[in-house]
Amino acid sequence: MNQSELSRYFSEHLFIPQLKAKNKEQAISELLDLFVKEKYIRNREIVLEMLHQREKLGSTGIGKGVAIPHGRTTAASHVLIAFGKSDAGINFDAIDGKPVHLFFMVIAPPNDEGNTYLPILGALVTLLNEKNNRDMLAKVKSFAEFLPIITGE
Amino acid sequence: MIKKDLEVLVSLQDIDLMIEETSEVEKLGFSVSGYTELRKAREELAATLSKPMLFRYERLRAKLKRAIVPVKNDICLGCFLRQPTSLGIKGREDEEIFTCENCGRMLYWLD
Ligand SMILES: [Zn+2]
Repeated sequence: MNQSELSRYFSEHLFIPQLKAKNKEQAISELLDLFVKEKYIRNREIVLEMLHQREKLGSTGIGKGVAIPHGRTTAASHVLIAFGKSDAGINFDAIDGKPVHLFFMVIAPPNDEGNTYLPILGALVTLLNEKNNRDMLAKVKSFAEFLPIITGE
Repeated sequence: MIKKDLEVLVSLQDIDLMIEETSEVEKLGFSVSGYTELRKAREELAATLSKPMLFRYERLRAKLKRAIVPVKNDICLGCFLRQPTSLGIKGREDEEIFTCENCGRMLYWLD
């Protein structure tokens, strides 16, 4: 999946330039609340449970200040990504032990048309492996500043 | 808190979906060091269901891959058959478990 395709799964409604969260639990909740507020998810508890179980499998904090909490749930109908940023950084039990600044929450349905879920996760990992992209994302204040970094334009 | 049967079934399936794709997400660079712990959580959750309910879930899953499917705009997303609007009114309460007359899967209303 290329960056321009990836950018289609983001939305201004699922964007928090400055998270209020102070810890892992709050960060997951704050991002999930965007999906609930946008009526993308009816039953918050079910999806919260899924995200907690996913963290049991292993922290989605992949290191270098990045976390990608993700999962498929029967309580969703299409793939969407929420973005949140914390300048102070949040302890997310990341694999390198470092605080997380950039959060990408990916929620997917049990089956998705064209099976885009895993390619989306892969494209995010690739994008965020680039130090330059991480540095630019750490500075964004609006969705208008954010999106061009994702599309790579 | 998740306590209704339908919610437990959805959660159980969500964990099963996770377990299915463990090796794929590991290849992408995610940690899956808690695999055993997740399997344990899955069994604990499954044990909260009655035996017949768990049997029904496992049987549907073995036969149709997904035991429960979302319903959106009255459409079963397992087979795309339209569900009666009146069914959705009760269905959204998450109390009773309804199945799609066409594909036989259990239904979970999204909207
Ligand atoms: Zn059906």
